[in-house]
Amino acid sequence: MLKTTVVVIGGGATGVGILRDLSMRGVDALLVERDDLGYWTSSRFHGLLHSGGRYAVKDKEAAKECIEENTILRKIGKQCVEATESIFVRAPEDSEEFEAEWVKSCKECGIYAVPMSMDEAFKLEPNLSRKLLSAYRCPGAAVDGFRLLWQTVASANKYGGKAKTYTEVIGIETVNGEVAGVHVRDRWTGEEYKIACDYVISATGSFAGNVAHLAGIDVNVKPSKGTLIAFNHRICNHVVHRLHPSSDADIFVPHGSITILGTSSIDSAPDDTSSETSEVLDMMNIGKVTFENLYDYRILRVFAGTRPLYSADPNAKGRSASRGFVALDHAHDGIKHFMSVCGGKFTTYRLMAEKVCDIVCEQLGVNTACRTAEENLVDGPSDDLMNRAKAVFPSYGAELAASRLGNEKLERVIKRIESRPETKELVCECENVTLAEIEEIASEPSSHTVSDLRRRTRLGMGTCQGTFCAYRSVGAVDKDDMPWAKDTVFLFKEFLETRWKGIRPVLWGNMLRDIELTRAIYDAALNLSGVDEIK
Amino acid sequence: MKKSDILIIGNGISGLFAACVAADKGKKVQILSYGAGTLTIGGGIIDVLGYTDEGTPVADPMQAIAAMDAKHPYAKVGADTAKKALDTFLKITEEEGFPYIGSANENIWLPTAIGNFKPSCLVPRTMNGKALIAAKNILVIGFDTMKDFYADMATKNIAKRLPDKNVEQLIVELKFEYERDLRDISAMDVARWLETEAGYRSFVDQVKSHVKPDTAIVLPPVLGLDPNYKILDTLEKELDCALVEVSSLPPAVTGTRLTKMMTAYAKKRGVQIIEKARVVGSEIIDGKCQAVITEGFDRQRKFYADQFILATGGVYGGGLVAKIGAMTEPVFNIDIDVPKVQTEWSHKDLFGDKKQIFAQFGVNVNSELTPLAADGKEVASNVKVVGRSLAGYDFCVEKSGNGVALITAYKAAAAFCGEA
Repeated sequence: MLKTTVVVIGGGATGVGILRDLSMRGVDALLVERDDLGYWTSSRFHGLLHSGGRYAVKDKEAAKECIEENTILRKIGKQCVEATESIFVRAPEDSEEFEAEWVKSCKECGIYAVPMSMDEAFKLEPNLSRKLLSAYRCPGAAVDGFRLLWQTVASANKYGGKAKTYTEVIGIETVNGEVAGVHVRDRWTGEEYKIACDYVISATGSFAGNVAHLAGIDVNVKPSKGTLIAFNHRICNHVVHRLHPSSDADIFVPHGSITILGTSSIDSAPDDTSSETSEVLDMMNIGKVTFENLYDYRILRVFAGTRPLYSADPNAKGRSASRGFVALDHAHDGIKHFMSVCGGKFTTYRLMAEKVCDIVCEQLGVNTACRTAEENLVDGPSDDLMNRAKAVFPSYGAELAASRLGNEKLERVIKRIESRPETKELVCECENVTLAEIEEIASEPSSHTVSDLRRRTRLGMGTCQGTFCAYRSVGAVDKDDMPWAKDTVFLFKEFLETRWKGIRPVLWGNMLRDIELTRAIYDAALNLSGVDEIK
Repeated sequence: MKKSDILIIGNGISGLFAACVAADKGKKVQILSYGAGTLTIGGGIIDVLGYTDEGTPVADPMQAIAAMDAKHPYAKVGADTAKKALDTFLKITEEEGFPYIGSANENIWLPTAIGNFKPSCLVPRTMNGKALIAAKNILVIGFDTMKDFYADMATKNIAKRLPDKNVEQLIVELKFEYERDLRDISAMDVARWLETEAGYRSFVDQVKSHVKPDTAIVLPPVLGLDPNYKILDTLEKELDCALVEVSSLPPAVTGTRLTKMMTAYAKKRGVQIIEKARVVGSEIIDGKCQAVITEGFDRQRKFYADQFILATGGVYGGGLVAKIGAMTEPVFNIDIDVPKVQTEWSHKDLFGDKKQIFAQFGVNVNSELTPLAADGKEVASNVKVVGRSLAGYDFCVEKSGNGVALITAYKAAAAFCGEA
């Protein structure tokens, strides 16, 4: 029987942060995730590394935590962060009094907010609306959620921490009011087994209520859905915020060649990741205040995630509920060594993990101090390795691959190309992903679908949204020696249908043209969904 | 001011075919063309009707067309005219020395680049799927550095679908002299290579010993860049087996051959093709179209004709423009009837046996293919709409793309030439 000290349930930012923290303190820990890492909320957000500016007026404590963690993550998660800085802009409809209070609050929280002339702002961001009135520079940044999660797990791995994806918890076992283990189901094989442990931490975000129910406990999470729009342009080079009390659709975050606009806030079920056209249009109309030509930009896709807002008061709603996080020790509910962690922000994931692990370690009698702020998640590539990479990767792919893969995996991918030069072929031209990288990631035991490869490599996240790389990636993995890739039609549909989900609410202009091409290839030419009746 | 009898807007397969048909009947025909069009990236095969509305394979396309729902373009044309259209196309292919095989009354199952099969109707002899079904052994050939064909995947799936065959694969080495870092190698490059003496010899030398008696070879579309069977014929003779190209993704060598053939035929018949002519509007007086207006980098120009055929394609080709809650046909400024809310344009799944809602959006026409405005009135009595701009069909689920194009184009051209 599998045994560990702590089982962490949930492979979002909070869960992987806890796994890494415990592992670095020498506590034996195993993380189980029902889907893929970062499948839910931890990737379904703007990808904003907060400066704290957004919270400075309303919640100084949160703002201070943000700026501290922002500084730490830029250092330890260098490969995941694009240090763009952010610009806060005030529109004519935003209050001047708020601006004054905001400037004062940023100062109190230790967040730099450097005023600039609008001329200077327009020079930095030429697409900004000329109606805007004032602008400040702050230390916000863009962060890649998928990458941060995988690299956090890679760091935990070095200390013995393990993560199992597609492993669903179906029961929490207690003996005499104390946790004894969890029962899980492998979602690919259907196999059910027990993992014995001394402690269970549920870091399941919007699903915390569902998981607590397995132990007969109520946890009052109110999931609130936010929709995000990804544009196929780098509209801005900085994160751009509206300078007003936090509201819908007031943040633009540039990521590589795209920009994400978010978000909305609607009470929802924990697994509701659908978006309606009306939500998109509402957000576009607000976003247009910041970038007046917003409707001229091509949308790539829309997506949605649910914020796990925790409230002790069951009647609290939406954005006004507390953003802070809570660690609920269920000893108060009659079960010892079971904790639910709810709420929180991606930016402060490391700090939340530290606080949770302080409590857990104390209960387990472990005295080691937290070191997660001191050590980098993954080692950056050495100059030697980068030179080797540049010799084999096409165009500027070496830098991109290095930041995606980190030192060790980069070396393995380079070796693949060195021994089989044909594997330098680009499978995904939009994101510069080579066949060698696809083969390397596909061979990892955590890969089960082409979408898994997408989350680790950015395959299919660019302009064509899978139209061309679907054939290439399925072709690359659809081999007899790849245990998970047996059914060609399933592989295609799984990948293309998830891409389609994000395009469906915005099916106009070039988005519809792209889908027409996708169908012409996969349905008309390759007959993906038709019946074979060969005579 | 030059005036033509028939002015065709668009030089995809429907525009070119309409031009060929009308020119054959003695009309002075001009085509206005803009951009490369979608024909060259298409598959070069004539799907007529592969599946019924219920998703079952169609045995006899003409029989199925006769029983078509009234909204479908085929219902406006009828099976008799459809058959004439396809026979006319076959005649053109023969005259051009690139005869297609198949008949209007049956479908042929073609292997695809995935290794499954799709039904089509008229296909070039390089894609004779029947040869595959007839053979005992199947040899799937890939090329070592060519992009976008995975012999592994095709072999595995063909073996699954044809369990009584002996299916093997062979990877042919290209050994291109130039440094392949410069760019990817596509089917086009391999086709070009096979047209060289050295490439041809290298291919034969590498393949010959692997061909057992009673074998059919499956390979990506590489058997020649031009519309003829020179390479196919010599290879079939030298290797003593059939060769079958798969239905594949762009860039499409097969689509290029079809484009070249149709263009050559049209030009021989005196059709004038005017390039870089972006049509932005039309002039309609008393219910008749007088001219269409093109816009270049410096000026607008009018092209006059007695009769007009709109063959500008669908959303992908630019013949229809999709907006938020709306769709328009920009040349005659026709509003297409679509739901206001975008999520009502589609089914939840992209792929399925149900026709997609958005795929069926297009210009409504009467039984003469004359476009109708939202109020049901004729937009202009001397205009006919053909091909992908038409409402009422889903070429992907039905497998009917080039069939609808040819059959409606024939009907429009013939009607303008005084045939019922």
